[in-house]
Amino acid sequence: MLNTDRRWLFLIIGVVCIIPFLIRIGMPVFPTQEVESIYDYMDQLGPDNAIFIAFDFDPGTSAENMPMAVAVMRHAFARDVPVFMTAVTPLGQGMIMAGVDYVTDPSQDYFYQRVEWDEWASIREQGTTDKAGIVEAWEAQGHQLSDNALGWVFEGRDYAILGYQPLFYLVILGMGNSIATQYPNDANGNPVTEMPMLREHKNLREIDLAVTSSGSAACTYWITYGREKVGLPVAFAVTAVMATDYFIYIQSGQVIGQMGGLRGAAEYEVMLEQTGEYPTTDKAFQGMDVQSVAHVAIFLFVLVGNIAFFAGGFHKKGSRLKGGR
Amino acid sequence: MKRSVPLAIVMVGGILMIIQYFIPHQYSQAVFDTYTEWGPIVAVFALVLGIGSLIRVHSHKIRRRAKNWQYSYAVLIPLFAMPIFGLILPTAVAGGTDSPSVFDFLFMNVQVPIQATMFSLLAFYIASAAFRAFRAKSALATVLLIAAVIVMLGQVPIGELLGSWFPKIGQWILRYPNAAAKRAIALGVGFGILATQLKIIFGVERNWLGGAGE
Amino acid sequence: MRKHQVAFPALVLLIFSVPVLAQTGAPPAPAAVTEESGQEEMPAPEYEPPGGIVVVDHPNDAGDQLDVSFESARPEDLVMIQQVFRRPAGKLDLSGPDGQGVGEDSWQAVYSVAAGEATFFVDGQDPDYPIEPGSSYEYMVTALFMDGTEVSSDVYAMDFSSVGEIFHTGKVRVLIACAIFLILIFYYFQKAQSGVEMYLRPIGGIEAIDEAIGRATEMGKPILYVPGLSTIADVATIASLTILGRVAKKVAEYQTPLLVPNRDPIVYTVADETVKQGYLEAGRPDAYDPDSVFFLTDSQFAFVAGVNGIMMRDKPATNFYLGMFWAESLILAETGSLSGAIQIAGTDATVQLPFFITTCDYTLIGEELYAASAYLGREPKQLGAVKGQDAMKAVVMTFITAGFVAGMIDIVAGTHILGWLRDLVTMPIVD
Repeated sequence: MLNTDRRWLFLIIGVVCIIPFLIRIGMPVFPTQEVESIYDYMDQLGPDNAIFIAFDFDPGTSAENMPMAVAVMRHAFARDVPVFMTAVTPLGQGMIMAGVDYVTDPSQDYFYQRVEWDEWASIREQGTTDKAGIVEAWEAQGHQLSDNALGWVFEGRDYAILGYQPLFYLVILGMGNSIATQYPNDANGNPVTEMPMLREHKNLREIDLAVTSSGSAACTYWITYGREKVGLPVAFAVTAVMATDYFIYIQSGQVIGQMGGLRGAAEYEVMLEQTGEYPTTDKAFQGMDVQSVAHVAIFLFVLVGNIAFFAGGFHKKGSRLKGGR
Repeated sequence: MKRSVPLAIVMVGGILMIIQYFIPHQYSQAVFDTYTEWGPIVAVFALVLGIGSLIRVHSHKIRRRAKNWQYSYAVLIPLFAMPIFGLILPTAVAGGTDSPSVFDFLFMNVQVPIQATMFSLLAFYIASAAFRAFRAKSALATVLLIAAVIVMLGQVPIGELLGSWFPKIGQWILRYPNAAAKRAIALGVGFGILATQLKIIFGVERNWLGGAGE
Repeated sequence: MRKHQVAFPALVLLIFSVPVLAQTGAPPAPAAVTEESGQEEMPAPEYEPPGGIVVVDHPNDAGDQLDVSFESARPEDLVMIQQVFRRPAGKLDLSGPDGQGVGEDSWQAVYSVAAGEATFFVDGQDPDYPIEPGSSYEYMVTALFMDGTEVSSDVYAMDFSSVGEIFHTGKVRVLIACAIFLILIFYYFQKAQSGVEMYLRPIGGIEAIDEAIGRATEMGKPILYVPGLSTIADVATIASLTILGRVAKKVAEYQTPLLVPNRDPIVYTVADETVKQGYLEAGRPDAYDPDSVFFLTDSQFAFVAGVNGIMMRDKPATNFYLGMFWAESLILAETGSLSGAIQIAGTDATVQLPFFITTCDYTLIGEELYAASAYLGREPKQLGAVKGQDAMKAVVMTFITAGFVAGMIDIVAGTHILGWLRDLVTMPIVD
């Protein structure tokens, strides 16, 4: 039994992960205190506030990090909170684009209808910069919200894709004084200084929260150079493996809360649905079925492995394996 | 000279930045600003070095027809193709980095799935490691095993269905014993990093120059 | 009627008429009647302009911030917004009418206070309106009331210039902690150099290095050494390269093949030099194989795939994973285990430690990796640094214990010792 070919184990895991995608179970997910802290904090924000969502991850961890970033983005859009988006790696910039495309994709059941910077230039030229005024002027021009659209999001008013800059910890340091000096133009080449959301929130002192969705230790840059320098509130949205490391930051009060892995994203999606900020849950919640079954499978592997170990007498001294344990 | 100049730069620069941290005066801030402006420039040179090294190693492999030399083309062709697609090819001919473009297509449909696939190997390796290595060989190992099972099942909805105490105990383990241990390791690592960096600044540690010891 | 019979009722009438007369107050002003509406208009309330502007130098800055406070205009409940204007000093020319100031008007609105907000702010934090160090400014506050009335305060001229401080008093705690750490490190440097024997507890992973190299030599198989996936700037990489130097020297003596794949080009060049130096020190420069240290790729998972291929094809007897690792750690270690090699790992990435611990024979946890170079070389300064670190940890442990005891005492006796202790060591948000 102990010499079972690993490929059988791989096959079992593969099957176990695929089946819940085909047969939706929909087991309930209950929010934890760490995720609720972030949600409650976001819930008090409004159009006068602004947040950063840092896409500090690469495609490798996007399965865990993207749902977290998307959930927070949807929450911000629902409350008309402007969102600045940054990335710590060049691939992270691609992740920002993918995330924004996903939230504003008309083929989704529900989406936010995106209006790019150039499209509403005429409204800006008239001097209208508040969200309500922009929406009124936009709709007066004959634009209509699609049936399954939850609202308009205007680039430069509701979101700005600042993107990637090298040595990102220096960028955070610089943004403590001025965001525009670090990002004169956003990732799409639009002038950041002309954006209404930047005119109202010029540096990190005027930002109300930075949510770092991270697959590496880059999340700690926001604490060292953001929170400790200018008092920027920070929330973590990290992979499950990393989440265990950062409970110490929650306890010391350096972060307001933490989402850990797909479970964290699922909890946030459930809270969005329960409060009506977003009509349904999404991929993270669906993924919890797969995770549940996979965890049970691994538990059974551990159990069977131990039974085989003790049944085979390997626990006795002298039977210890050397190398390749 | 080859050793003394870099050591001098590190020593002077390191001590200067330590002192600068405590001085808020504008002249001190100007020094800091200069350093932070130079930082990305030096980092970009490292990128040039990295790309140059990559090209040199793989073109050498192709020239020598070393083992698996054909795969070196798989490295060099995309290395040049992606910047050409993203920066040089006009947007009218599917150039640029925004969607739709060749660059975006290759990124979203090749790079992203490849990286996600490699990362997903971990799921299979975890299963195989769990079967092979999670043994209750001693009392401590048994405690570790039980804690691992409780945390693992407590993290997923099925654990809550099996028993409401699963997630509660799992969360307690994460918030208290786990945080205490992680805090201890983080403190130790933090001091270790400080001491090593002090050794580098004061020239005690010189391995970063290349060559061991003196 | 008698006098007292008249006086008493008159007195009572007088007493009860006082409140009535008081309520009527002064006779009302004659109502203004407008020509257009013919309706009566109430007189405008009396507005008091903002005042009491106080400007002080912001402490612990580069001379580019000023603390500004003022008293709100009155009545406060009718104030809509108050704007603070600033201009460089010297623009005020008091020769104008009423001495209110004329001349070049370069007022800039640097801050706005909405109704109900605090009338205090730190000027200079807005990047659009920076303050030049060593400059003086004039301030004026204008209040806009609900009915559109605008009133301005007197101009306040600073009688000092903004100054940058030489020492940041908020960082005293950090300075003290740094000083304690440096003193301890140098003390133990000195102690080690004076020949005092310093005890380092045995670290299984380091002691097993020789055994692992011996095993590979006996089996005639190569040793695989992965110095981590990070750059030379990472302390873990530097620690790993120090150990590589020792391993290379041993390997040169035993003439065991060594494979060192690298992910970073700079680490590759340093590793190359390190291994060459190791062979030189062992007196076997001729045995050095330049192809033993090679650059593989800079992509994380491509590197892992390459190393896995080496493990499955070359079947090394011993694998060293020392340095910084990320998600690929389990893939590396599990494949190495599959190939039957002895595995020694060491990393300060706590996230990856569980994977190494379950799959490797020996694991150096966190700072044990940093201590390895001292352990192997036994150089006085390296030993002194390790002991200095341990001494600093003892200081921290003392504070933690004191905090724990203080917390218990606070619960029992209702004191606030823990709060005082926390204030003692906590650095406030600076800048």
